[in-house]
Amino acid sequence: MAEQTLNVPQLVVFIVLAFLGVRWYLRKPAAGSTRPTGQSHGVRIDPAQIDQVAQMFPQLDRRQIAWDLQRNGGNVSATTERVLTGRRLDTPPPSFNPPAPRAASTAQSATPAAKPTKPDLITRYNLASRVGVASEAAASDSASKPKAWSADRNERQANMQRKREEMILAARRKMEAQEKGKAKASGTSAS
Amino acid sequence: MTSSASKRLFKEYRGLSSDPPEGIMAGPVSEDDMFLWEAFIQGPEGTPFEGGVFPAELKFPKDYPLAPPTMRFLVDVWHPNVYANGNVCISILHPPGDDPHQYEQASERWSPIQSVEKILISVMSMLAEPNDESPANVDAARMWREKRADYEKIVKENVRKSLGL
Repeated sequence: MAEQTLNVPQLVVFIVLAFLGVRWYLRKPAAGSTRPTGQSHGVRIDPAQIDQVAQMFPQLDRRQIAWDLQRNGGNVSATTERVLTGRRLDTPPPSFNPPAPRAASTAQSATPAAKPTKPDLITRYNLASRVGVASEAAASDSASKPKAWSADRNERQANMQRKREEMILAARRKMEAQEKGKAKASGTSAS
Repeated sequence: MTSSASKRLFKEYRGLSSDPPEGIMAGPVSEDDMFLWEAFIQGPEGTPFEGGVFPAELKFPKDYPLAPPTMRFLVDVWHPNVYANGNVCISILHPPGDDPHQYEQASERWSPIQSVEKILISVMSMLAEPNDESPANVDAARMWREKRADYEKIVKENVRKSLGL
């Protein structure tokens, strides 16, 4: 009887210890691997994640949030849980630079201010090597006119690609010729 | 396994490949996914877009052709009806129920009797004739209305850049 009543608190203590042990074990690798590297090649924290936590807990310092996210590998729910369970976030070392907050996050839905410029078509479709070769395309034009529709799937794909490349290269040649003509005209008129 | 949507898309792909409209080319990026296409539109002659080739991405919904695809240009297009991120805003891409402004005719909007070919032809003529009633790019729309020369200069510059010049 006495044995049995003793067992319940023991069991509770065991479960609590096991839970803490597992948590400690799971947290450790993430923290351990990122701590020494700091900002330079640690996990890249998404400013959006910092915003997410900061919106839930406006009283927290963004730097501390960033530091905690940095150490747990960008796990928002882990940081949230940490705050909710009443543990304070650690103060980051002075060398830690959190990523800058996203600029103009309020005007997100409006025009994106600094959009990255899109790559040109020559780069996009890997045509740099074929830009200078004018005769090749002209020759292939007449020699092997691709059939409009092929029964073979791979051939269709290849035809598509060839037509695409020809379209771009033809436009490029035309534009180039046009510019050359213009430059020549302006050159002769100037001299 | 192939859904009616991908069957229909395949049929349209076949039609567009066998008999493409002038200056237009389109097809799936890979036949593994019939719901993602790439289209190429040549700039219409007699417009500042002339000489350019404008690639765009078409994303089809799983219930195509009940719902329209979305279309996004993959190069910079300075145009009143093209958002800064390249998304095209044109009535044929809008389902009939989805018109808060009520300025578009139901017949101009998306319905299953429209097609990829009709979308691309509409977009081509949109390049030539912007619709500034409901601009997607307000700055471009204003410039098109008030400073046409500046507008054409930007368009031409974008065309040159997109050809790697």
